[in-house]
Amino acid sequence: MYLSKEEEKILDGESGTALQNAMQILVAIGDIYGAERLIPISSAHLLTSYKSHEIFGIEWIEGFVEKGARAHPNVMVTTNPGSVDLERWREMEVSEDLVRYQARLNECYIRLGAVPLSSCIPYLLGNIPLYGEHYSWSGSSGQVFANSVLGARGNREGGIQSVASAIVGKTPLYGLHLEENRFGNVLVKLEGLDFKNLSPTDYAAIGYYVGKSIVDKIPVFVGGPNYMTLEQLRSIAYSVATAGSVPMFHWVGVTPEAKTLEIAFGHQKPEEKLTVGLLEAKKTYEELTTTGKCKVDAVIFGCPHCTINEIKEIAFLLKGRRIRKDVKLWVGTSMQVREVAKRMGLTDIIERAGGMVIADTCCGPSIPLEYVKSGIKVVATNSIKTAFYVPGTCKADVILLKTKDCIDLAVEEGG
Amino acid sequence: MHIVLRAHPIAKGKGEGKALVTREPLSFWGGVDVATGTIVDRNHELVGEKIVGRVLVFPTGKGSTAGSFRIYACAKRGTAPSAMINVRADPVVAVGAIISGIPLVDRVEKDPLSIIETGDYVVVDANNGLIKVIKKGSVA
Repeated sequence: MYLSKEEEKILDGESGTALQNAMQILVAIGDIYGAERLIPISSAHLLTSYKSHEIFGIEWIEGFVEKGARAHPNVMVTTNPGSVDLERWREMEVSEDLVRYQARLNECYIRLGAVPLSSCIPYLLGNIPLYGEHYSWSGSSGQVFANSVLGARGNREGGIQSVASAIVGKTPLYGLHLEENRFGNVLVKLEGLDFKNLSPTDYAAIGYYVGKSIVDKIPVFVGGPNYMTLEQLRSIAYSVATAGSVPMFHWVGVTPEAKTLEIAFGHQKPEEKLTVGLLEAKKTYEELTTTGKCKVDAVIFGCPHCTINEIKEIAFLLKGRRIRKDVKLWVGTSMQVREVAKRMGLTDIIERAGGMVIADTCCGPSIPLEYVKSGIKVVATNSIKTAFYVPGTCKADVILLKTKDCIDLAVEEGG
Repeated sequence: MHIVLRAHPIAKGKGEGKALVTREPLSFWGGVDVATGTIVDRNHELVGEKIVGRVLVFPTGKGSTAGSFRIYACAKRGTAPSAMINVRADPVVAVGAIISGIPLVDRVEKDPLSIIETGDYVVVDANNGLIKVIKKGSVA
């Protein structure tokens, strides 16, 4: 890989060991993927959850910050969710050790220079790479959203790589940073779907099926609506990335690099074609539901973190109802969105029903369900990503349902 | 008998020890116990083997990116391999080796999985991209 004189000097250690180490990482990654050179980035988003670090990751990042690792001044650096709500952990009934570890991590990433959003929706909270800008994000739902919906350019990558890019302010030029790698290669025809009545979970069920089928290719969706809400686009973004490693998607007529079918494919023919309808969406529900039981211990919303509209919907469905005493209902979002929801009276409604709006914490891969003292055995969720991870990481059974059906399972009979 | 092979340096440094060779990709996340440096992945042919102080030769890494942290944890606990040779390095092992200061080379001029056998004594010079293999039973 070509390095400028200035970059060579960093690699030789002239700017200290932290920058040298970060440059070594970027050079190695660039080398593995055949990158020509490094390019500047404007935005970075870092993994900070205890569950993605464990004690080993904490030791590493603490050592790295100690050595002087600091975010590059030209890069907007933010953090992904942690593994616990640092304000309301007692009500979550999780162990104090978890809280201590997570607080250590947060402190460390703040020292590094990151803005502690503790959320997986940085694109709604001020870290918004614009069309054509280069970013280095970890956390697959955001990566895919930024590529597909914002038209910014970044790869799916691991947490340490994003830290290295945030410090150097650059990232190797490979993969989706290059226009020629951003064209679609699989045509996905949507057929027989009543789009007006599809829930966000239904959209995600479709996305999950597609991601599982095409693994790491780029799907181009046709046959869908010409207007999509933020929540619908997000459902596709996070779900195509769950089962495989799809880095972006095109939705013809909606996403910015898919004005027409021809443009989305870069005027090439699709390598593969896939038809997806109700049957495929149903397959996702069946595949991710691991139990026939209806008695749940927890209902989880918030993977990815809820938008204000989603919280509004949940509050509307819970208004005047009562959640069973032995059921935890968590609505996960960012602290800013929670604050807005509070002012709108939405958190009140949810809490009066017996639920809880939690912030700062992941509700998917890094959700701390196994740390809940009472023990969580069966979870209902509207998120295919929560459903995908919870059986393995939290050893709990899962029921995948749309939002309304999840709430019906949680409330008292006749409530 | 000595064999000297050219290789592509990924993580700099020098390390040597007895080779531990596998044709199966290796995941450090969930695959290696960091306290003892033992391979614990039940589906791996090297299950039960110790990587401590060995030159670990394997095709490539696999699994979660959190595997990089596990390599680092081994290094901090003194249970890491002294060097690693990959056919083709993946980002998880490459990043893990760099943050841990473990020499790593890949793209060896001849297939390292055919030339190096478990028990050979191997010297990896990742500063200069050289591997020296002293075959079992020969005098150094």
